[in-house]
Amino acid sequence: VSVPATRRTAPDWLLEPEVGLCPCGCIGRRKKTNFVTKTLNGASSVMRQALFSDDIAAQQGLLQAIDPRVKLLTMVGLLVVAATVRSTALLGAMYVGTLLLAAASRLSLRFFVKRVWLFIPIFTGIVVLPATLNVITPGEVVIPFGTWFGHELGVTKQGLEAAGLIVARVAVSISLVVLLTLTTPWNRLLSSLRALRVPKVFVLVLGMAYRYVFHLLSAVTDMYTARQARMIGKDTDVASGRGVVAASAGALFGKAHALSEEVYMAMVARGYTGNPRVLRPSRLRWLDGAWVLTCVAVAALVLGLNHAIA
Amino acid sequence: MHIPDGYLSPQTCAVLYGAALPFWATATRRVKRVVKNRYVPLLALGAAYCFLVMMFNVPIPDGTTAHAVGGVLVAVLLGPWAAVVAVSIALLIQALFFGDGGVLAYGANCFNMAIVMPFVGYAVYVAFARRTSLTAPRRTLAAGLGAYIGINAAALCAAIEFGLQPELFYKTDAGGHHVPLYAPFHLAQTVPAMLGAHLLVAGVVELALTAGVIAYLQRANVPVLRVNHAAVPETQLDMPAPRKLGLRGIFVGLGAMVLLVPLGLLATGTAFGEDGPGALDLKKYGLSAVPIGLAKYSNWWAHTLLPGYGYDRGGHPTIGYYVSAVAGTLLIAGVIAGAYFAVRVTRRRHARTALDAGTVK
Repeated sequence: VSVPATRRTAPDWLLEPEVGLCPCGCIGRRKKTNFVTKTLNGASSVMRQALFSDDIAAQQGLLQAIDPRVKLLTMVGLLVVAATVRSTALLGAMYVGTLLLAAASRLSLRFFVKRVWLFIPIFTGIVVLPATLNVITPGEVVIPFGTWFGHELGVTKQGLEAAGLIVARVAVSISLVVLLTLTTPWNRLLSSLRALRVPKVFVLVLGMAYRYVFHLLSAVTDMYTARQARMIGKDTDVASGRGVVAASAGALFGKAHALSEEVYMAMVARGYTGNPRVLRPSRLRWLDGAWVLTCVAVAALVLGLNHAIA
Repeated sequence: MHIPDGYLSPQTCAVLYGAALPFWATATRRVKRVVKNRYVPLLALGAAYCFLVMMFNVPIPDGTTAHAVGGVLVAVLLGPWAAVVAVSIALLIQALFFGDGGVLAYGANCFNMAIVMPFVGYAVYVAFARRTSLTAPRRTLAAGLGAYIGINAAALCAAIEFGLQPELFYKTDAGGHHVPLYAPFHLAQTVPAMLGAHLLVAGVVELALTAGVIAYLQRANVPVLRVNHAAVPETQLDMPAPRKLGLRGIFVGLGAMVLLVPLGLLATGTAFGEDGPGALDLKKYGLSAVPIGLAKYSNWWAHTLLPGYGYDRGGHPTIGYYVSAVAGTLLIAGVIAGAYFAVRVTRRRHARTALDAGTVK
């Protein structure tokens, strides 16, 4: 973890993996966790990610210094470039570029690579494996598996290339989004959405929703911790488990509804008239201009090479 | 079902952003106009709730768990337009802050889960929950069914989006072979794979959670259900008497069908087995001649007034067709009216004799 302990708001115990909970089973034996534990783990993982990205966003690095609006627009532009590239080698080069950006933004590379590759690109790799066969992607068979009901079966060169393309593209895209979200405080990222012409009401609701996700999350954690405290032995009855989940989700809606009434009254009491105001945008600096120029140059270079290869 | 970036071509993403845009615009306008300020916090909490519903692990047999999307649940609780906003915002939080679902693919994800799912599911819910009270068991079932059909409709959309990629976006290599640039599976694989998983597992989970939450609120927190059902009575006793389907409705329906008769003239070819045995393709069925019984009985009754709906008369086949239609309709109407009056007369007579005998007071 690259953030020094003195400047972290996320407590140590939240960042350390719990013994025996590692899904790969490297510490102790792997247990099938039940739905209560899984939901609690999911809740703490959301908390951990949010607190941790706020810590990283407060670091002094290259991407942290760039205006959020500029960063959002350039990242979306780079995402489009990554989506149009037709060569695995170019996508690989773009991935190396994201690693360099991560290093320049003081992100630990081990953490960054883990965060990106677990779990979507690896999942993608497994899912596209069958697509490398000639029955789905016809072409030159390079790894023959023999015949199947009189038809030749094997992995094709074209299938492998397609699988490589999609995995590389997914990895580059996720890296770009992770770079954006990890280096921008969430409230500034929200206000930068106005630069994309997202309606004010939408941004307001989004900001409030993000805030209350954590409030409701603690309500869920309380409910489930209370249930776990009252249980002994294995909790394996599926039907009663579903009942518990439905009842807690229903109770949560009741809480959310009551809370929304209170929030409304609080808003009116503080002078809310229906015209939301968003944070005043900060002034752009020369670094932002330099960043935009670099991004445009990189995009032009990548697209030019892409055209030359094709 | 959260599609990450890289699976869909930028063109597909742009089209689906375009498809989602009018829904977002309408939803935002409706929120501003209909619901005013009070609903800003309600929508925000609805979006936060939606985010959390996706985190609830629902136990399924075999000790594993799955999670629901909650699009139809939010549509039932807050209305479909509010669900568009709430689910879209929950998806945006997931895509931007937690890397679940892509940023370019955000339009596609919203189209599937924030538009198709709540609207399809809500339509099913409204159709099945009609004329039931707020606490009726059928309302629970309707919500569950809506959730099941809604998530499968969303999965079908996602499968079509995936399946179109290798057909539309590929490059041709030196050997003349196609290399898919994005998701490599074809429609023949994506549709069965997505629908199989959703019909069997994800749909059932969605059904269980949605119906479970509605049943819980019916037991424990009816006022919350009022948010989207202001005019629905609470118990079956308070329901207004069901409206009788008058004769007018029947005549309007029948009249519309009579007007649609000319559609039959547009059709080419023959209906299966209708024009036998002359039109029978004997070779197809491995026969060398028309079976004796068929040949004998197919024209057994030839003394009809308008053979072949008046089409066989030559001359004016279209007029013959219309005359057949009108004559047939009148004949059927006459038979039904006759049966109706016969039943009424017998019933009255029966009632009178019963009254005379003193069995009915």
